[in-house]
Amino acid sequence: MRRSKERSRFIALCVAPAAILFFIFMVLPTVNVFRMSFFERGAYSPTETFVGLSNFKVLFQDAKFISAMQNTVLLIVTVTLVTFFFAIVFAAILTREKIRGQNFFRVIFYIPNILSVVVIAGIFSAIYKPENGMLNSILSAISGRDIMILWKDQQMVIISIIIAMVWQAIGYYMVMYMASMSAVPMDLYESASLDGAGRLAQFFQITLPLIWTNIRTTLTFFIISTINMAFLFVKAMVAKGMADVGLSFMYNQKDAGLYGYAMAAGVVIFLFSFLLSALVNKVTQRDVLEM
Amino acid sequence: MKKLLSVLLASLMVLSLLAACGSGGNNGGQNAQPPSGGDTQAPDNSGGDAEPAGDVTIQVAALASGYEEAYPGMWQEVCDAFTAATGIKVDLICDKNLEDVIGPAMQGGEFPDVIHLATGREKGLTEQFIKDRNIADITDVLSMTVPGESAKVGDKIVGGFTDTSVTNPYNDGKTYLAPMFYSPCGLFYNAGLFEEKGWTVPTTWDEMWALADELPEGTSLFTYPTTGYFDAFLYALMYSVGGPDFYNKALRYEEGIWDTPEAQQCFDIIEKLASYTNPITPAQANDQDFTQNQQLVLDNKALFMPNGTWIVGEMAEAPRADGFQWGMTALPAAKSGGNGASYCWLEQAWIPAGAPNLDAAKQFVAFLYSDAACAIFAKGGAIQPVPGLTDSLEGDNKMFYSIYDNGADAAMGNFAAYDAVAGLGTVREVFLDPVNGLVNGSVTKDQWIADVKAASDQMRANIME
Repeated sequence: MRRSKERSRFIALCVAPAAILFFIFMVLPTVNVFRMSFFERGAYSPTETFVGLSNFKVLFQDAKFISAMQNTVLLIVTVTLVTFFFAIVFAAILTREKIRGQNFFRVIFYIPNILSVVVIAGIFSAIYKPENGMLNSILSAISGRDIMILWKDQQMVIISIIIAMVWQAIGYYMVMYMASMSAVPMDLYESASLDGAGRLAQFFQITLPLIWTNIRTTLTFFIISTINMAFLFVKAMVAKGMADVGLSFMYNQKDAGLYGYAMAAGVVIFLFSFLLSALVNKVTQRDVLEM
Repeated sequence: MKKLLSVLLASLMVLSLLAACGSGGNNGGQNAQPPSGGDTQAPDNSGGDAEPAGDVTIQVAALASGYEEAYPGMWQEVCDAFTAATGIKVDLICDKNLEDVIGPAMQGGEFPDVIHLATGREKGLTEQFIKDRNIADITDVLSMTVPGESAKVGDKIVGGFTDTSVTNPYNDGKTYLAPMFYSPCGLFYNAGLFEEKGWTVPTTWDEMWALADELPEGTSLFTYPTTGYFDAFLYALMYSVGGPDFYNKALRYEEGIWDTPEAQQCFDIIEKLASYTNPITPAQANDQDFTQNQQLVLDNKALFMPNGTWIVGEMAEAPRADGFQWGMTALPAAKSGGNGASYCWLEQAWIPAGAPNLDAAKQFVAFLYSDAACAIFAKGGAIQPVPGLTDSLEGDNKMFYSIYDNGADAAMGNFAAYDAVAGLGTVREVFLDPVNGLVNGSVTKDQWIADVKAASDQMRANIME
């Protein structure tokens, strides 16, 4: 009895610093966001006036907010699908096939993930430049005519952001899936090929089910991180107002001096991401397969 | 051996933690801030600890704009001159992204004593302070003596500069923001190209359209760095089309003002100009790439762009077409025989209401108009609105500042401040950002006008008096 009491006290002490920091810097601000959404105040003034739910009423009728959330959903869906598709495919190729320089590819794919968003924005600025930018030059060289696609203009801007976001995220998830795929024992594949299963069938019947829990966890993380990264990319790369996402709408309200309104947007985005992750979690639930 | 190695590595990790504590550097990519930003980093002189009691130390936060870049250390020199004249010490914070550097401390209730930051910036910090009535009244500074001299501040500032909504935002005759660094804004072009082709600079909009139709393939009439630069353009346009009466009413969102023929003419001109704008402009009209739009003029791919006198320093290192010469003209007149107009861009210095050393801060603001300070500012190309300074200008600057001598009217003032209302955007979002849409076809003129009218009614209802 005494031993376990000492033990639990020791454990509590070890966990305490992290728990306290988490509480102060994560839980309290979140509660504050909810609280501030019921008031209205300027960013630098200490006085606030209670407005109740009026922030939310105006929010749901604000056309800019609606279009910002539409952009957010569009980005979440497309970036997630494209990233996961490529990450899983590349991971499968790099694990199963004995390609030379496997580690080299791992490093190359991972590098974009460690670059800061501002650096990535600078890189893609040069790539997307209308005259003499990398993409337009390559396309012109291939097709023979002078191609001048305006990558950062209204029509193409969402695609440009998607490309940049996928490029940044692929490496991280590819490396994670490579790790979990290499845990799948080789004799499963051998016996499958003996039974006549081709590469594709092996992938869908063996690899995917066995790494499914990993995919599920990363899916939840990725959706939440996309909401954040979309804001960073849009802020760094795109003209103001052209392709606002949920968080950039929130940020713009701060510039307009409406802190309470911005917090109301924050509350809606928080609940949205919470519900979305819970939904995705539920939908992708399967029986855990033990190897 | 292994133990030694692990101890070494561990201590290296700990030391790297401490290294991060020491640096106060400002990291960030090419995040230049239009309209008065440069392209490279300005050194971040974060204020140290306050001096021990006995001496007053004030904290001054100044934006490191194109002028500081042209003459690094400009602000530090002014602060040192102030200390020499009055004995009050100064902690200077001078940064290109000033809002990010002082913003967090201010949200915690710690304010600098003097802030030099203009309205019209994207983060709208000054506008927010105006809306919150968080700025100290400095009308009494006008009757103070300039430290180190015998003249009064009010006598040193050129007439009319303390009478505009830029300095008196609440329309009550009280001055809250001190006018700094006035620079005429206009349309910049390559004078060398005009000479070469034998073109004359258009003085009316009809001449402008005629010139546009003559242009060779690949050259457009117009471009702009970002939509934020349209504020000076719109003010000058409204002034030249409708005169001071219409201009002042429009700035206060008078009812029905956007239905008048003058307003319609303004909208028509901008719509027509959008059709003559270089089509890649919106794709580059963001914080990363706006200098590429400015480059279009240097490369003769566009003729005119709205900008301010800082552009010369900002693009000093950029490659340009042969025979390139900077030229600046006021906005053309609405009809022949009329006057063009040029918006007089003013930056502002102000004292937050929560400043700890109010009197010393007011002395600093007064000092900004002393001969010593004006001379230092002039080295960076920043001209104070003090009479006699423009006589000593040289080169490009002399040409720019003589724009009013050549018959252009000076437009001053800005859209009246209004209480922040949820769902209503900023002036830039309502009036200026849609120009991107006009150029790339995603917004029609009628949509834009309808949005302007709806927003204008709300702004008028919430105007701050």
